[in-house]
Amino acid sequence: MSQGDPKLPLFEDADETVAAIHQGDIDAVVVMRSLEGPQVILLHGAEEPYRVLVERMSDGALTTGPDGVVLYVNERLCELTGYPSSRLVGRGLNSLFEGEPPKLVPEVTAEASLLRNGDDAMPVAVWSRPISIADTTATLVRLSDLSIHRRAEQIAAAERFARSVLEQATEAVVVLSPDGHITHASWRAEQIAKRSPVGSKFSEVFQLEADSTPDARTLARFSAESLDTLLATRPFHGLEVKLCGDGAIKSTFLLSAGPLVDDNRTNVGSIVTLTDITERKRAEEQQTTMVAELNHRVKNILAIVQSVAAQTMRSSGSPENFAVAFDGRLKALAIAHDILTQTRWIGIGLSELLATMLAPYRAPEEPRISILGPAVLLPARAVVPLSMVLHELTTNAAKYGALSTRRGKIEITWQLGGGVDQSIELVWQERDGRKVKPPAQAGFGTKLIDRVISHDLDGKTRIDFDPAGIRYTLTFPVRGVATQRAATSGPATA
Amino acid sequence: MSELDGYSLRLYVAGQTPKSIAAIANLKKICDKHLPGRYEIEIIDLMKDPALAMRHQIVAIPTLIRQLPEPLKRIIGDLSNAEKVLVGLDIRPN
Repeated sequence: MSQGDPKLPLFEDADETVAAIHQGDIDAVVVMRSLEGPQVILLHGAEEPYRVLVERMSDGALTTGPDGVVLYVNERLCELTGYPSSRLVGRGLNSLFEGEPPKLVPEVTAEASLLRNGDDAMPVAVWSRPISIADTTATLVRLSDLSIHRRAEQIAAAERFARSVLEQATEAVVVLSPDGHITHASWRAEQIAKRSPVGSKFSEVFQLEADSTPDARTLARFSAESLDTLLATRPFHGLEVKLCGDGAIKSTFLLSAGPLVDDNRTNVGSIVTLTDITERKRAEEQQTTMVAELNHRVKNILAIVQSVAAQTMRSSGSPENFAVAFDGRLKALAIAHDILTQTRWIGIGLSELLATMLAPYRAPEEPRISILGPAVLLPARAVVPLSMVLHELTTNAAKYGALSTRRGKIEITWQLGGGVDQSIELVWQERDGRKVKPPAQAGFGTKLIDRVISHDLDGKTRIDFDPAGIRYTLTFPVRGVATQRAATSGPATA
Repeated sequence: MSELDGYSLRLYVAGQTPKSIAAIANLKKICDKHLPGRYEIEIIDLMKDPALAMRHQIVAIPTLIRQLPEPLKRIIGDLSNAEKVLVGLDIRPN
């Protein structure tokens, strides 16, 4: 052709041409056709409003030729990618994406990652449809920014997560904005507040008073407003408080606050927790009481041991006698304490205590000891003294009474007396033993029985020296004794 | 008009499109004002003969080519921005 050199690049000033097309400075283009040669295509008419639409749309858009080369990009796509149109036009479509490029199926949306200049790839929805430009089949590709959508999804997911955490929290948890208003509240917080506290100031919903003097001094330093500000802006831990006001829950709470920070580590409020420590406080008080009680009991035991040792010493003629008697009494004491430990210091049924103390003398094949009486729960304080008394009675019977002969028997019966103090009258009757004679003077065992019943159990002892068998009648009050069962335990003979 | 200081301009248009008409009008106005008696305009209608586009590798229409004085210069668009045209054609305002 005479007018031009076909070897020269047709798009000598491609950038300028593309810019002119974008700016709407031209309304016709010359397209090279291999057979027909150059041909003028008018851009106005049907294409013009379409071009304006594509140029102004809020999504990114581009067109590709049949070979997938980008022919045109709109302004929005330049914004999304951070590249000028001159850097995008002429490239293969797939080179615009990170990783797997989208598969273009007409009018089907796919997702892909759009490469950006100096930034992380952006998630985009890719939609396409074929278009026809002057007998040439091209593809219009629309790219929608999904990052805002994704961010919204992430925020929604985070919100759902936070809400479910709050809903599941068994403690009262509220989220405060920096100005002290409650923005979120757990189920327990709503329950304590007796209404939804969201939107109110913390101090309006939760009126606090301190649970101890030091905490009261701390709390007194703050007005309601300054407490709201403190909780919303400063980490705070360990103030024991109670709620005041009409109908407030009578619980003790541990008040704590911690900062709430966003992605940029900016403080955007705080998380305030009211932990119900009523049970813990109660357990602590119980433990303190128990330690004091234990201390008291240990001292009592030592006093008993000291007393028993001194008295046994006085009544023992020789070190050997002392050793035997003292050992027996200590064992009785130990058995009593085992019982108290096993029953967690609640006490024990009288028939169970008798069965335990007399077990060494109750051979199954030789029923010598019978136990018969109504079911009675002995209080813990009566267990040690009565065990000592039973030990002395048994020892006396073994040395001088019914258990010192082969045919001797012991019948133990009791009944409950009425009255405010409700007393037990326990009768220890020995039979078929040696013939009983009143002693010239009371032995140590008898003295101990009398002393324990009168001093420790606040009761009385009567001894009948019946020639057929000695009889002890022990009467002592059992305040707080509970009747376990209406039925009697029946004759517990063995 | 002498050949030394004259401007030989060629405007490629596409029939009566709005941009083509505007470009012709704008060019004449600029030349009358800044190059009185020193220019010559040749209007090439590529609708009539598209092959004429080959000579200056015309892609966009309208496009103005300054053939003289050399070097060859090219301005794309409807020439509505007179200042851009004057700079593009190296014409110093009177």
